Amino acid sequence: MVLEEVKLENLEKGHILAFGECYKKMIHPSSFEILTPLKEISESLRKKLILICLTASLEETENFEDLKKCLADEIWFILNPELKDFKDDLWARVLAEIVKNSRPYGFFFPATIIGTSLAPRLAGILKLGLCAHVNSLELKDNQIIMARPTYGENVIAKLISKSVPVMATISLGTFPINYKNKEPLIKKVIFPETFSWESKLKIKRFFPTKKKITKLSAAKVIVAGGRGLKNKENFQKLFELAKLLNAEVGATRPVCYEGWAEEERMIGVSGVTVRPKVYIGFGISGALQHTVGMENSEFIIAVNTDKEAPLVKIANVAFITDASILLDILIEKLKTMK
Amino acid sequence: MNKIIVCIKGVPIPGTIKVDSETHTLKRESLELILNPNDRVAIEMAIRLKEIYDFKVIVISMGPPNVIPILKHAYALGCDEMILLSDKIFAGSDTLATSLVLAKAIQTLSPYSLILTGLKSIDGETAQVPPEIGALLEIPSITNVKKLFKQNGFWIIIRENEYGEEELELSEPFVASINSHTFDYLRPPSLKRLLEVKKIEPVIFTANELGLSPEQVGLKGSPTQVINIFEKKIEAKGTIMEGSPQELAEKLIRILKTKDLI
Repeated sequence: MVLEEVKLENLEKGHILAFGECYKKMIHPSSFEILTPLKEISESLRKKLILICLTASLEETENFEDLKKCLADEIWFILNPELKDFKDDLWARVLAEIVKNSRPYGFFFPATIIGTSLAPRLAGILKLGLCAHVNSLELKDNQIIMARPTYGENVIAKLISKSVPVMATISLGTFPINYKNKEPLIKKVIFPETFSWESKLKIKRFFPTKKKITKLSAAKVIVAGGRGLKNKENFQKLFELAKLLNAEVGATRPVCYEGWAEEERMIGVSGVTVRPKVYIGFGISGALQHTVGMENSEFIIAVNTDKEAPLVKIANVAFITDASILLDILIEKLKTMK
Repeated sequence: MNKIIVCIKGVPIPGTIKVDSETHTLKRESLELILNPNDRVAIEMAIRLKEIYDFKVIVISMGPPNVIPILKHAYALGCDEMILLSDKIFAGSDTLATSLVLAKAIQTLSPYSLILTGLKSIDGETAQVPPEIGALLEIPSITNVKKLFKQNGFWIIIRENEYGEEELELSEPFVASINSHTFDYLRPPSLKRLLEVKKIEPVIFTANELGLSPEQVGLKGSPTQVINIFEKKIEAKGTIMEGSPQELAEKLIRILKTKDLI
């Protein structure tokens, strides 16, 4: 594929940039998610939305077709063999050059592990403000206002950044992926000969994850558990229930910290956002940290002893009882029905 | 002796923060701070490395004087020196301003081998300070590290991301944030050190002593600003079912049937 080439110093200025995470032959879907709110913002500001992708070569990207229908107006590729591995220092320096030369109005990252490693490093180099795990973006008098739950409690903070570009990482799964018909203009950014592609990090080996990646964000039915299940053994029973209902298992933050469930199953601010048809929360009181990640579920069922628990209040149906006891009975009954 | 610097944070006890609905400011029910649980893991990593390679471990925190008991706790766990960065003008610092204060203080400790931190704090949950410190000090930053050891004069690091685990090689100094599930066992404080630390106090640095002006730190030095905070109010909307677990299970199954799950 022959791409239009543009020299670093000739990049168009003043637009909105989004980080497109190209790694291990994939464009991470979260990069498409963040384009959804950014498209609205960039249109209102009459600016272009540009996806910035760093990778070694275009050939091997498996979901390249998705790029061609994404919401970005343009995609700028920075291609160099040294970008095959994620080297925090080099990648941040490359992005710093992009920012210095294109003077964007905003630069946003998906809150993946790479995104949350790279964005603060870039913010540090350029001495810019950076908001973390934003789950809402709005414009007021042409100023970007960002919101996020904070203090791990039921507190929402609205934030602005006084430095330009406005920078934020955006929570995973918060926005749906939308596509458009018009293909974005794809360009290759040519760095000057003098730019050093060296890094102090040497990636020696890569061990692909053996864990089956949970498909939580795409699940139709989710059975989730919280501390109200009392112990890991009770929590494990959710997997039995999930099998019977063809569901995925989700968890709250405290439960993941206790080690009852892997962190991949965490729903909420620091985990994933889900929108299943049916969500059942067992022993989950419903701290905002968790509920922002599941409140858009179509039908919410809560099982909890506390009638005043926030999850009980947002549920379509709440069962006031000990979650672990109900879970046992439910599994027994469902087994006999099969 | 080579040094490891561990950055730690005092955080409010979970559940003690409420919003004043009239002034939209945070109400703290308790001024007591606890050690950010994720930082406990960074301390454990530092002490294990100290036992293998004979490092001196310096624990450092920015915060009000009520962070002192947390620094002392870190000492009791095995850290050797305590530094508190405390000044009224630090209040309201965002991650960039906080990183600047920490970086300035860390510079005065140079040369050092490693800077270790927890993955993120449980209150702000940004995870931004470690890479920002790395950028400000112009040294590498690596996040979500599960393993660290020396080999042929280099450090070998295992870090985890969505794709798997990567083994890296690099030279010191660098910043590493430690994965929160790195260890099955976290040591308790030693009685001997608990007694020792009663007689010593952390070294305190103010903004002035670090060469920082009010424009660089606190609210003034923070590019990001909170313009509003509010508590999310939830109004009950659904049906509440009560009864024996047996009855409730029957009712739940009926609902699941209407949803075509059974």
